Amino acid sequence: MGDAISIRNLNKSFGPKKAVRDISLSIREGSLCGLIGPNGAGKTTTIRMIMSIIFPDSGEVNVLGKASAVESKDRIGYLPEERGTYRKWKVGVFLNYIGRLKGVDAAGLDQKVKQWLVKVGLQDVYKKKCEELSKGMQQKVQFIASVLHEPDLIILDEPFSGLDPVNRVLLRTLINEQHQKGRTIIFSTHAMYEAEQLCDHLLMIHDGQKVLDLSMQELYRKYDPKTLIVEPADAGEQERVLGSLRHLSGVDSARLTGETIELKLHEGTDASSVIAAAASACRVRRMELKRASVEEIFIEIVKGSGGSGEELEELRASLAQARLDTGEARDSA
Amino acid sequence: MRKTFTVAVREFISTVMTKAFLLVFLMPIIVGGIAALAIPLLMNAASPKVSGHVAIIDQSGSVGNRLEKAFTPEAMEARRGKIKKDAAAEIEKRAPGMGVGSQIEKAPLPKAPELTLQLLGADASVDAAKAEILKAVGKEKDAGGTNPRLALAVIPASAVKGEEGKPNSFKDYELFVAPKLDPEVQSDIRGQVSQAIVDARIEASGLDVERVRALTRQNRVEATAITKEGEKKSNPALQFLLPGSFLFLMWISVFTAGQYLLSSTIEEKSNRVMEVLLSAVSPMELMVGKIIGQMAVASLVLAVYAGAGLVTLVALSLKHLIDPMQIVYLCVYFVIGFALVACMMAAVGSAVSDVREAQSLLTPVMLVLMVPMMLWMPILRNPNSLFAQIVSFVPPISPFVMVLRLSGSEKVPTWQIPATIVVGLIGVVVFAWAAAKIFRIGVLMYGKPPNFTTLIKWIRMA
Repeated sequence: MGDAISIRNLNKSFGPKKAVRDISLSIREGSLCGLIGPNGAGKTTTIRMIMSIIFPDSGEVNVLGKASAVESKDRIGYLPEERGTYRKWKVGVFLNYIGRLKGVDAAGLDQKVKQWLVKVGLQDVYKKKCEELSKGMQQKVQFIASVLHEPDLIILDEPFSGLDPVNRVLLRTLINEQHQKGRTIIFSTHAMYEAEQLCDHLLMIHDGQKVLDLSMQELYRKYDPKTLIVEPADAGEQERVLGSLRHLSGVDSARLTGETIELKLHEGTDASSVIAAAASACRVRRMELKRASVEEIFIEIVKGSGGSGEELEELRASLAQARLDTGEARDSA
Repeated sequence: MRKTFTVAVREFISTVMTKAFLLVFLMPIIVGGIAALAIPLLMNAASPKVSGHVAIIDQSGSVGNRLEKAFTPEAMEARRGKIKKDAAAEIEKRAPGMGVGSQIEKAPLPKAPELTLQLLGADASVDAAKAEILKAVGKEKDAGGTNPRLALAVIPASAVKGEEGKPNSFKDYELFVAPKLDPEVQSDIRGQVSQAIVDARIEASGLDVERVRALTRQNRVEATAITKEGEKKSNPALQFLLPGSFLFLMWISVFTAGQYLLSSTIEEKSNRVMEVLLSAVSPMELMVGKIIGQMAVASLVLAVYAGAGLVTLVALSLKHLIDPMQIVYLCVYFVIGFALVACMMAAVGSAVSDVREAQSLLTPVMLVLMVPMMLWMPILRNPNSLFAQIVSFVPPISPFVMVLRLSGSEKVPTWQIPATIVVGLIGVVVFAWAAAKIFRIGVLMYGKPPNFTTLIKWIRMA
């Protein structure tokens, strides 16, 4: 399969600020790709350049085989970050209008609009004015507007922001459904675990630069789990167990946090041999090989690229805030 | 092309299908209704009944008896009748064939003031007589027989005979009136007193009053223009009214739709729906679609008003006043004029985030739009002056000026019609090009509103 999008050496500045610096990337047809990075990293600017809504200072964009998204607008579905509706228009009128603009035939369009509204649980709003809808409802209407014309490429800028957990799950299902149909999907988010749960490919942008471009499998292979969590069965035994586990081969360090013991494994150690050794060393209630979360990987990368301590602290805080914003939906995965 | 059309249709429907737009249709009816019903009512209400007396202290001894004759009820009624007849004749002369004059003649006169005259003795105290007026304050409109004093005229002897040793120097009379006395009544009193004094002077000089009046009367005459097509009475009112209404028609329709275009662009920006639209259509398609949609709105407004005007003219059997070619020209110049104004409105609308920010950028546009209104008089006075010819070639005011000149009385050189149309069309292309540049950058620009220099910079950007 070819590339749905390929970008070469893209640059864009707004006044003195370099929003995007020399980004090159390609997205395979049919992939579900997450574009992640903290606020202000350059995600929206990149997406707008892909959409030819703004134009790069230098570099090349190729979308669906054309030199510009303008030429294939009708094959692209786009949910912008700055999304709005006509406040005084009825929902049905709005969706029909956007559908017509996107080149959907007038015949059957209205039927399609109604089917979609039923699908997202908004069957009653067809005749309501857009301004009467809640923000979450409006967002679902906007999502419909971006997929109504059955595009080959769907670009969603922060699709999950502002949704409650129930609707977040619904949206995830809808995105997955489009993915199953073989459509290429890119979505951006500043809440990284959202990407972790959904996509098969991950692009990470930090400070206008691409810092990561891997499939999820490659990512997990590269960032091998290096932490083993052991919870001893016998209370009060932790100190003793800690002592014995510390000296197992392949363990770099061990520390006690509350009831559990965290073992840092040596680079390249086979985790299963450590697990076997630990299981024989003590009675275990729970044992878990902890995968690095995308957030941790991201922090690691920033650290690796020479980010200062202050910068890291800021980053951690903003990521924690992102988790709060979206209501920590890990459990609903 | 199809998308542009979709945008245009949507723009038209969403503008026309609002309650506010109904006003466009109701306006002629409302204005017509006010003109037909309310104005006569207001005119009658404006002159409340006046009742009271005018006191005269005649120190000359030869004016009082004349005034007594002038203020008999019959004499006053006759004067009022004559004023009305003169006014009707004047209007008929200025705007013949419209039936306005006969309407005025048929209209009933408002209630006549009940005025009587009271001659005080030549040696009566002026101060005491003035004090009487003060007592009457608040009773000017009182109909109950209190007979308040409304005015006092003091005529010195030297007003008739001339000052001692200087027979050609006459002293003025003095007039005192109650506050709030109807100005029409005041002017009638003033006129009668003046007339009586002049008559008294003539008689005192031993001349015949009627003879002198006849000798000094000369009516105002209307000029007759001699043209190649023959002699014709010039018609000053129509000469200004007809072009004026053409200009006004065009101006109001262009302006109404221009405002709609401005606010719908700002709305799309402030609603943040712009980016959704731009993912479906190019900025150029969007702008052109919106302009075409609003042009349809403007045409509708124009058709409604022009239609109302034509119906009126036909009803008054005056349609001969309009040459069908004038309507064709109006349509052509309307399209050009609208396109020019709409480009400016679209550019301004795209550059700002809300209506308040638009004001500062809109001021120059408004000033430009006001120019044709201000040029109305000078251009009609001389439709082929060098100045008028020059502004005919300056977009965006050129179409407005041409409509004025073409509906005026003087023939515009034929070559200037195609020439101004071509210049106008070139103007449209240039304006659309500049507006598209501003639009493309402006629609996604939020935050600090740009000033004029920034807009120029956007235009010059690639």
